[in-house]
Amino acid sequence: MSEKINKDHWDWEFGSRTTWWGWSAKELWAYRNLLGRLVRRDFLLNYQQTVLGPLWILFQPILTLITYVMVFDKLVGIDTGSIPPVLFYLSGIVLWSFFSDSFSGTAFTFRENAEVFSKVYFPRLVVPLSVLSTHCMRFVMQFLLLLLAMLWYWVVEDTTYSFNAWILFVPLAIILIGCIGLSLGLIFSVLTAKYRDLANLVHLGIRMMMFLTPVIYPLAIIPENVRWLVLWNPLTSLFEVFRYAMLGSGTVDLLGLAYSVVVSLVLLLVSFMIFNKQGDKLIDVV
Amino acid sequence: MSDVVIQVEDLSKFYRLGTIGTGSLRQDLQRFWTTKIRGKEDPFFTLGEGEDADHNSKYLWALKDINFEVKQGEVWGIVGHNGAGKSTLLKILSRIVRPTQGVVRGKGKISSLLEVGTGFHQELTGRENIYISGYILGMKKDEIRSKFDEIVAFSGIDNFIDTPVKRYSSGMYVRLAFAVAAHLEPDILIVDEVLAVGDAEFQKKCLGKMRDVSRTEGRTIIFVSHNVHAVNNLCNKAILLQRGRLQEMGDVQYVVHKYASSTRSNNLRQVWDNQQDAPGNSMVRIKHIELIPQLKGDNKLLDIRTPFSIRFEFWNNLDNANLITGLHLFTPSGDLIFDLVSNSTVCDKGIVAGECHIPGNFLNDGTYYFSLIIIKDVSDILFYHEECITFDVEDYREEHQPFWKWEGFVRPKFPFKIEQPSKIALAEKSR
Repeated sequence: MSEKINKDHWDWEFGSRTTWWGWSAKELWAYRNLLGRLVRRDFLLNYQQTVLGPLWILFQPILTLITYVMVFDKLVGIDTGSIPPVLFYLSGIVLWSFFSDSFSGTAFTFRENAEVFSKVYFPRLVVPLSVLSTHCMRFVMQFLLLLLAMLWYWVVEDTTYSFNAWILFVPLAIILIGCIGLSLGLIFSVLTAKYRDLANLVHLGIRMMMFLTPVIYPLAIIPENVRWLVLWNPLTSLFEVFRYAMLGSGTVDLLGLAYSVVVSLVLLLVSFMIFNKQGDKLIDVV
Repeated sequence: MSDVVIQVEDLSKFYRLGTIGTGSLRQDLQRFWTTKIRGKEDPFFTLGEGEDADHNSKYLWALKDINFEVKQGEVWGIVGHNGAGKSTLLKILSRIVRPTQGVVRGKGKISSLLEVGTGFHQELTGRENIYISGYILGMKKDEIRSKFDEIVAFSGIDNFIDTPVKRYSSGMYVRLAFAVAAHLEPDILIVDEVLAVGDAEFQKKCLGKMRDVSRTEGRTIIFVSHNVHAVNNLCNKAILLQRGRLQEMGDVQYVVHKYASSTRSNNLRQVWDNQQDAPGNSMVRIKHIELIPQLKGDNKLLDIRTPFSIRFEFWNNLDNANLITGLHLFTPSGDLIFDLVSNSTVCDKGIVAGECHIPGNFLNDGTYYFSLIIIKDVSDILFYHEECITFDVEDYREEHQPFWKWEGFVRPKFPFKIEQPSKIALAEKSR
């Protein structure tokens, strides 16, 4: 058996050079069980010793929904087009919380896990991916809530839905929203580890970004001359296509959608590279 | 023929002291601009000028040019003083931090135990923590499943397995954490001084387990410890690191001996040839003071069994002085262990010599220092020569004795035995 092992053959090598492309899918796959456990851990930690348990996943959007409907529909009176305000806001809330949770959940990966990272090696990407998985599952449940609400409106309020071919874009929009959240999270996880004060920026940024995304208003009510303020945001057309496909009202154009796809894929690529390249060095810093 | 499973080549690790990183986003951007965009040298960090880095107190080579090879089934100990780079080396071997220069190559799966309870979460139950910790340390699903019962049995906490670990006593916590670690089956295991925690009995169990693993299963282990005795017991090869450099490497006995003699912080002897330079004053000046261990056989270390003498001489410049000398033995933390006083003698001008004999099996292992005091007429202090002798007493244990640090300043060997009265009574009855 020893003939096979020649001196130049090693299973692994660890040197000074950090690479942009060092991560291997094979290695990640080997740690899939850890990812599963981490997701499980997050659920247990969030909902054990609570009264309502996992029901909070649904209460959060419902409470937000009530607030939004009171403020933006009843008080401000934003025109939601043909969509009933409840469905309009709920769809926005569900999508937005998926994005913002994915972003803020991963943006402190290094800071929050410095203790473990400095004691044992495992692919660092497992942690943000587990956070993303957790939020995906939460999203699925909240999405079901949206479908339930739609069913209610269909049965009780006689709201009609005209599903069209755009429905095919719904999964894409959801995946891309998750990707953007993860990408920004990965980039900021590196930045927040190095520059602590950027943590404030993350929370502030998410809040401000919500106003530049059609969450509480449809794109249609934005005047043409200031629409660029919202259109630069790759999330915008994803939100619009989601609403258009699901609820039948929204501003959709292929160009904007293409822009979102390209931006989110580039972001994802860049963030993986940064995370990988900087990840090793950060252990000396955090 | 055993194969090389880890090869360390020209390994160096460089740290900048003080603020880590350049400290601000502005400087980082500046640095990025000069190095990456304009292709010039880094204004904040120039590695090329090794000489400068060596002499600049803002920089530190935590490791420098480390080369060694570990073969299949060997158990290596890494010894060295605090800050010698032991932990840095382990972290690089465990792939946690990258070296500044050089490479580590290896074969097989490597697992590192740099702390007890890696990945443990206070809020989770023992069961959950076994899984999370196991996965983080690189175990496979089947591995954990098949060993789960064994782990629980080893830790001895079966009743509490579904209780959050925050409600565990610290001893239970450590036991569970180590139980997980002890059941790892990597090809190469890297262990830091995790054994410094937990209760004594459990430490023994852990060291025993590690020894079993290395002897019976041919596992390769790299073990870092301050505990010379544990290293000696467990390892067959060792490395001595000193200020980031590889000082000695080879057979464990040899390296541990080198380490022990280097820790002898080593002021066993002070000699002055003429009075002008000697410490003291116009009345008395120290000529020479020395600690002489009475070593037996091939034992070259002053250990707890070794008797030793303190010999000293001083110049007395007073006539007809009634002198007394005293020796004070201190621990490094400044606790006075004893204050020995010599007889008093009336001395004339000239050299006065003294000797004190300290028996073996008296001091505990550790560092101690002597101060010499010279007194005239019972209470008039002529000179107090502080911390003139510093020495280490090495540990020595019988085979059946445990590894953890023996408590106390002294470790006398007084007659001490236990027995069971009922057995004696029984023996008498049968007689």
